[in-house]
Amino acid sequence: MRISDAVPALFILALSALAVFGTWDLGYWSGTTPGPAFLPFWVAGVAVPVAILQLVEAWRAAGADAQSGAEWPDRPALKRAVLAFGGLVAIALLTPVLGMVASIVLFIAFLLVVVLRRPLWPSLATVAITSGVIQAIFVWWLGLPLPVGAIGF
Amino acid sequence: MESLALLGQGFATCFTPLNLTFIVIGVIIGQIVGLLPGIGPAAGMALLLPLTFGLPPVTAIMMLAGIMYGGQYGGTLTSVLVNVPGEAASVMTAVDGYQIARRGRAGAALSIAAIGSFLAGVGACVAVVFVTPPLSEFALKFNAPEYFLLATLGITATASLGGSSATKALLAAVLGLYISLVGTDPILGIPRLNFGQVKLLEGIDFLPVAIGIFGIAEVLSSLERVHDMHPIRTRLRDMWLTAQEWSESRVAILRGGLVGFVVGIMPGAGPTIAAMMAYVTEKRFSRHPERFGKGALDAVAAAESANNSAAHGATIPMLALGIPGSASTAVLLAALILHGIRPGPMLMIEQGPLVWGLIASMFVGNLILLVINLPLAPLFASLLRVPYAYLAPGILAISLVGAYSATLDIATVWMCLVFGLIGWFMIKFDVPRAPLVLALVLAPLLEFSLRQSLLLSFGSPAIFVQRPLSAIILLLVVISLVSPFVVAVRNRARLRREHRSAA
Repeated sequence: MRISDAVPALFILALSALAVFGTWDLGYWSGTTPGPAFLPFWVAGVAVPVAILQLVEAWRAAGADAQSGAEWPDRPALKRAVLAFGGLVAIALLTPVLGMVASIVLFIAFLLVVVLRRPLWPSLATVAITSGVIQAIFVWWLGLPLPVGAIGF
Repeated sequence: MESLALLGQGFATCFTPLNLTFIVIGVIIGQIVGLLPGIGPAAGMALLLPLTFGLPPVTAIMMLAGIMYGGQYGGTLTSVLVNVPGEAASVMTAVDGYQIARRGRAGAALSIAAIGSFLAGVGACVAVVFVTPPLSEFALKFNAPEYFLLATLGITATASLGGSSATKALLAAVLGLYISLVGTDPILGIPRLNFGQVKLLEGIDFLPVAIGIFGIAEVLSSLERVHDMHPIRTRLRDMWLTAQEWSESRVAILRGGLVGFVVGIMPGAGPTIAAMMAYVTEKRFSRHPERFGKGALDAVAAAESANNSAAHGATIPMLALGIPGSASTAVLLAALILHGIRPGPMLMIEQGPLVWGLIASMFVGNLILLVINLPLAPLFASLLRVPYAYLAPGILAISLVGAYSATLDIATVWMCLVFGLIGWFMIKFDVPRAPLVLALVLAPLLEFSLRQSLLLSFGSPAIFVQRPLSAIILLLVVISLVSPFVVAVRNRARLRREHRSAA
């Protein structure tokens, strides 16, 4: 079985099970109108056959040469993507403590200098310009109250 | 004639300092978004949606529409000068455009693309003027069953037209429907699939999904292959076309524009499919098909005319029926809803100045883009020398700030990250993302009209076949579901026959 074709189907099968069991206690029909469980049931009713069809296609495609459509990155590329995503998670974690703009400053510096290994001075210039643009547009122009940390922004 | 009078009023709406300023901002941002690989017009529109909250709705929609069709112009630059499509609809342009550039005629490719996009775009806008009002009037006859089936058709057509695997596209659409089910039942007000989480009672907002699926996922994917681009240099004087180059391309512009417009109207097809079909069509009709793939100017003309024409054509179902024709128009539709405007056939009656202002702005925007892309193309091309690595962190940061600004709640940022991860996996597993967004936008209409239909018929599904209009739409839904599988079975049988005869 071609794994890259099977995984999306398995994910949808799992979601369908979750949707059906998550709405089991809600009414399928309510008086003269469909209830809250009606549409989840029927979406699952469509999703399961489509997912099974996808699994059949994945099984048939096993051993076929390869244009599976899945394009997996090599190790260094995957590391870049994972670290970048980790940096974004760090923004969400640090924002309540340091403030959003400060967290973003740290993220951009981390991504450029550590992950992408860009020269220091252009990276610092990028940090300054990007955080300036965010401050100018979102805070000053739109007046959005972005979370502020102990250092004041 | 009434349409022309209304269009005149639209121009009056358009030609205010505020609206003109934001049309210019929109098309320039669209040009830049189209230019940059790793972020497309739909992502650019989703990222900038939060910025429009402080604007009047008509200004906001004009700016976002400018990004939508501006992206079609911008994608040409990267395709021709670097052989990397700036956005998906410019894939066919890269095939021949780069070969033309290597022969020292990059300027000709850029010029014909700009002129073709302009002529086809304006032609499509004229068609929008005359097709949208009667379609909208016709749609006033629709009732709940028709709306349910139309929303279903929008989703299934996207799945069948939108990519190489219909099953994967349907799975993506199903995911979009599941996302829309989270929150509160819209009719009875009972919590549904929120798993006890108070923050999910209001459901999952469109914005973090769109920003995550399109913006964050695309940039993360692009960061995997960070390399500096070295665009072929082009000068202003190279932009002039010779008489022969123009005569080679003018019919291709007409054909590409027509193909693009027809494809663009169909829900789910979009500019990418339009460009591919126009390329294939032009190759079939060309006097020199052997030149395709090796630097044929008419190939570039056809593909670029088609993608811009499709981008405008996709606004017809959106304005007349409230059914988006592409991922970008899905974001535009979501923007209308976020600004408190109800899309659907009544839109032209209730929000006439907005609709006609938008249509007028598309004429103006195309003219601005022609001016930008002819003399100023070398200037925009110089942006390609900025390493993508310096732009990506800013795009990611603005994505999160934009997501936060929607609700002023850090939970939305987390949601955006979750969908960014889902979007990244969708790219890796080659699952198209547009059906997810379209399903998410259409789901409220689908559920409400389904339940209303069954209420009217006391639970009998016969209501969907008793009315002639809904029976026709139901037939189209069935065709759109079945046809990809019929085509796949036929192709498999043909391959087996060829294999047997070769053996």
